[in-house]
Amino acid sequence: MNQLISALFISRKDVESYYGKPPLITWAILFPAVLMLAVYVKDPATYLDVAPGIIAMTLLFGNTSMAAIVVTFEKRSGTLQRLLLAPVTHRTIILGKTASAAAYGIATSLIITIGLALLLGMTFSRPLVFGIGLISGAGVFSLLGLTASVLVREVFEAMTLLNFLRFPILFISGVFMPMAALPSWIKPVAFISPLTYVVELLRYGISGHSYFSSQWICILAVGGFLALSWLVAEPVFRRNANR
Amino acid sequence: MCPTVREEVGSRAEADIAIQVGGLCKSYGETCALHNVAFTIPRGEVFGYLGPNGAGKTTTVNILSGLLDRDVGEVMICGMDISRDPVPVKRRIGVVPEESNLYPELTCRRNLEYLGELYGLSGPARRKSTDELLGAFALSDKKEAPFRTLSRGMKRRLTVAAALLHSPEVVFLDEPTAGLDVPSARALRALIQTINRDGTTVFLTTHNLAEAEALCDRVLILVKGRVVTEGTAMEIRQKVEKSRTLSVVLSADVAEQSLLDACPAVRSASLVDGTWRLEVNDTHAAVSQIVSFAEKHGVRVSEIKTATTTLEDAFMTILKEDVERESPT
Repeated sequence: MNQLISALFISRKDVESYYGKPPLITWAILFPAVLMLAVYVKDPATYLDVAPGIIAMTLLFGNTSMAAIVVTFEKRSGTLQRLLLAPVTHRTIILGKTASAAAYGIATSLIITIGLALLLGMTFSRPLVFGIGLISGAGVFSLLGLTASVLVREVFEAMTLLNFLRFPILFISGVFMPMAALPSWIKPVAFISPLTYVVELLRYGISGHSYFSSQWICILAVGGFLALSWLVAEPVFRRNANR
Repeated sequence: MCPTVREEVGSRAEADIAIQVGGLCKSYGETCALHNVAFTIPRGEVFGYLGPNGAGKTTTVNILSGLLDRDVGEVMICGMDISRDPVPVKRRIGVVPEESNLYPELTCRRNLEYLGELYGLSGPARRKSTDELLGAFALSDKKEAPFRTLSRGMKRRLTVAAALLHSPEVVFLDEPTAGLDVPSARALRALIQTINRDGTTVFLTTHNLAEAEALCDRVLILVKGRVVTEGTAMEIRQKVEKSRTLSVVLSADVAEQSLLDACPAVRSASLVDGTWRLEVNDTHAAVSQIVSFAEKHGVRVSEIKTATTTLEDAFMTILKEDVERESPT
């Protein structure tokens, strides 16, 4: 219980210290908003096909960027060492850092979502599924950002490392193109991308339809990726946090 | 073969011991950073951990504070093993790292309050401790200033305050006065003495041997990851006082080599600000030889006196002996 409270304190401090950083706001809100507007202006009839992908992309970039900036900055300034000296476990630190990054990603994705609902009239067929998609996806992407950032020293190194992963999966996970329309040779790769399942959960939450026959396939898949991300993040953090 | 920590615990009341280290080894790849390091620090002591750069001081502090895993050996802090019970041990220790590493964007007050949260202090206790420490460290007027805007001395003071927030039993200070101006360093040394007077055990690493001599009850000298000697500053000085030091002022310049050739009792000579500092084997013989040398060269001996061996002299002698041991030719 004490450790859980400490994780909350760590999250709150991160939110307090880093939420207002301009690069994060630009990346997380302006870029997807402009992209969504461009899609809408081009063809107002089909924007809903792309909306789940854009929201998931906002989540992906918001979470990974937040985790990467916070951890690399703290590693460089020595404040991560300060945290390692405190009576908190590595698990608590990972949980705290992941939760703050996830909160930021969820908040920015919700801003885009609310904007779409208010300005373009987007509705929700299954809001609960949409919420599960946002929260579980935020967890996976935050852990991914934390793992990448703990391996390097500089923010730009973390961003470069993440971009090698983020940009390719954007094109194979049904973000800009529905899964059904993807070339058959890309589909097997799409199935090993967590973003695919997050996009499909959001799509199901908005339209009630998905490429997969049941939302449970996506929920289980994202849950599996979440567990796997944690299993990878923990030893990587333990080994590299103080280097 | 070093006795294990547990064997030694039997001979000393556990409650009286703050830190006990036995057979501690740590390597980075092929490089051995610590080899069979062992020492015991009773509660309430100021313990100086000295050594040249790369001796393994920071590695030891990192292992003792739970930042680094050891390869072999035992480390007991307040009767607990840091690797087995890291969280309870960390609650009882405070660490001031070499670099002041508080959160630059947070204010002084928020920095302390945040750390108080992590150490499990209740809201009122946190606020009370924060106010008291800001007052004690003369930072009350800076409490709403972000940490990054403070001067180096203020940053150092706040970092020490952060380490004391939860009233730890043991405080690790890694080069606490490094890079500080004289008044700030003096103030910090006075604070260390105050902390110790309150019963806190202090583990101090420093390059400043005068500081160690002034503050520490006992010191340990570490060279290339090995403990070379340990004891009070006086004990260490006595260990190396096999050769005495003479301080000599001559009325005119003389060549070092001719001085050494004419005075076999002088082991080494160095000229600092017009004063010869001579290491001698036999004081009486050396004085007589120096006087004869001066007469022969037509110079006057203006002053001759025995110099006190400082901890710094002892430290340098120990380092020199270590080098000679490693390369006997």
